[in-house]
Amino acid sequence: MTDIITEKKLIGKLRELRQIKPNKDWVLLTKSQILGQEEKYRSPISIISVLRVFFAKPGYAGLVIIFILVSLFGTFTLAQNSLPGQLLYPIKKISEKTQAVFVSEIDKPKTSLELASKRLEELTKVAETNRVQNLAPAINEFQASVSEAAKNLSKIDATSSDPAVVKRFVDQAKKIGEKVEEVKSLGVVIGEEGLEKLEKASSKLELELLVLSLENMISDLENRTLTEKQEKILSQMKELLEEEKYSEVLELFLVNQ
Amino acid sequence: MADLRKAFSKIYDQYVEKIYRFIFLKVNSQEVAQDLTSETFLRTWKKFSEGKGNPIENPQAFLYQTARNLVIDYYREKGKTQTVSVELTPIIDPGENLEKKAMLRSDLETIKVALAKLKENYQNIIIWHYLDDLPISEVAKLLGRTEETTRVLLHRALNSLRKKINQSASGTA
Repeated sequence: MTDIITEKKLIGKLRELRQIKPNKDWVLLTKSQILGQEEKYRSPISIISVLRVFFAKPGYAGLVIIFILVSLFGTFTLAQNSLPGQLLYPIKKISEKTQAVFVSEIDKPKTSLELASKRLEELTKVAETNRVQNLAPAINEFQASVSEAAKNLSKIDATSSDPAVVKRFVDQAKKIGEKVEEVKSLGVVIGEEGLEKLEKASSKLELELLVLSLENMISDLENRTLTEKQEKILSQMKELLEEEKYSEVLELFLVNQ
Repeated sequence: MADLRKAFSKIYDQYVEKIYRFIFLKVNSQEVAQDLTSETFLRTWKKFSEGKGNPIENPQAFLYQTARNLVIDYYREKGKTQTVSVELTPIIDPGENLEKKAMLRSDLETIKVALAKLKENYQNIIIWHYLDDLPISEVAKLLGRTEETTRVLLHRALNSLRKKINQSASGTA
């Protein structure tokens, strides 16, 4: 700013302070809270009047039930699109928790990874639309879901599971990791603890898958008729496998194929 | 009641930004500004809905007066002065997006700091006339003064603000 400010310039700068505006989400929420309060006071009367109709004219009962069901369905559908920190979000969480009760132990890793992806989508949406108020709850929800997914992944034993399914889990966990980097590039700060656990669990599974496929490969070679040279290579491969030098086992196999 | 709600909804839409800004410039905190703004509108809505057929005559004056009282109560309760934390507070509402943040420069910060150092009456008159675009006649009503006195006050307020900014620019503030 120049040393001596003119009156005209000062007025112009003062007008620039009009850029100070409240958050749009907050404006809408506050309005609905203020004007919605009266609705809350009136609601018992409305229920009584509905019940009165229900008892006085049983013929309306069907209509009332349909109305209630449609309202519930509408609320439920709206809740599915809600974001963390929003009014209907708890309904979405309750519905997810209810569904989770019926998920078997085997399907838990799949469900928890899907939920983590869902939470990440919500967080991305919050970050992209600059809903500052929803950011902290969205980050917390995502971190909780990632920790849960990591916990479920760490319980998997790759040797006794379907390798194709385990591979899908590993890929899904990797995708989450990649997407998190994109969200971080929007300026969102996400705690590393849960993500590190997820990465550790997924890397462990990936390694187990590799070992499993190498063991299968060796066992397959053992059942074949091999030349003296090939026998030697096979024995080298076994030694390297014992020493946990997995990439070298693979390299040896590929070079001499 | 539905008509009242509709009418109040219009008032809310018309004044929410102004009242928020009016409070924000005095309290220098998004959270406090949000709390006091919603309390301002909640009190106004109660008064408005109680009035039924004869609601508040001048909603604008009522809103500003309620906001002023709430700000005074806030500082009284907290035992703070209005200028204590202003230098530490970013000029923009943190709820605004990053592009807007980038648009606001340090000279606006200087003006905001200087504005917060003015007497309450001077702050109000400047905000109402230059930021909210209220004509002198409206400002005079809000202040309970004549138009002539209001013009003089506005002139003094602006001079005082300019003095504070120039002092700050020359490092003597």
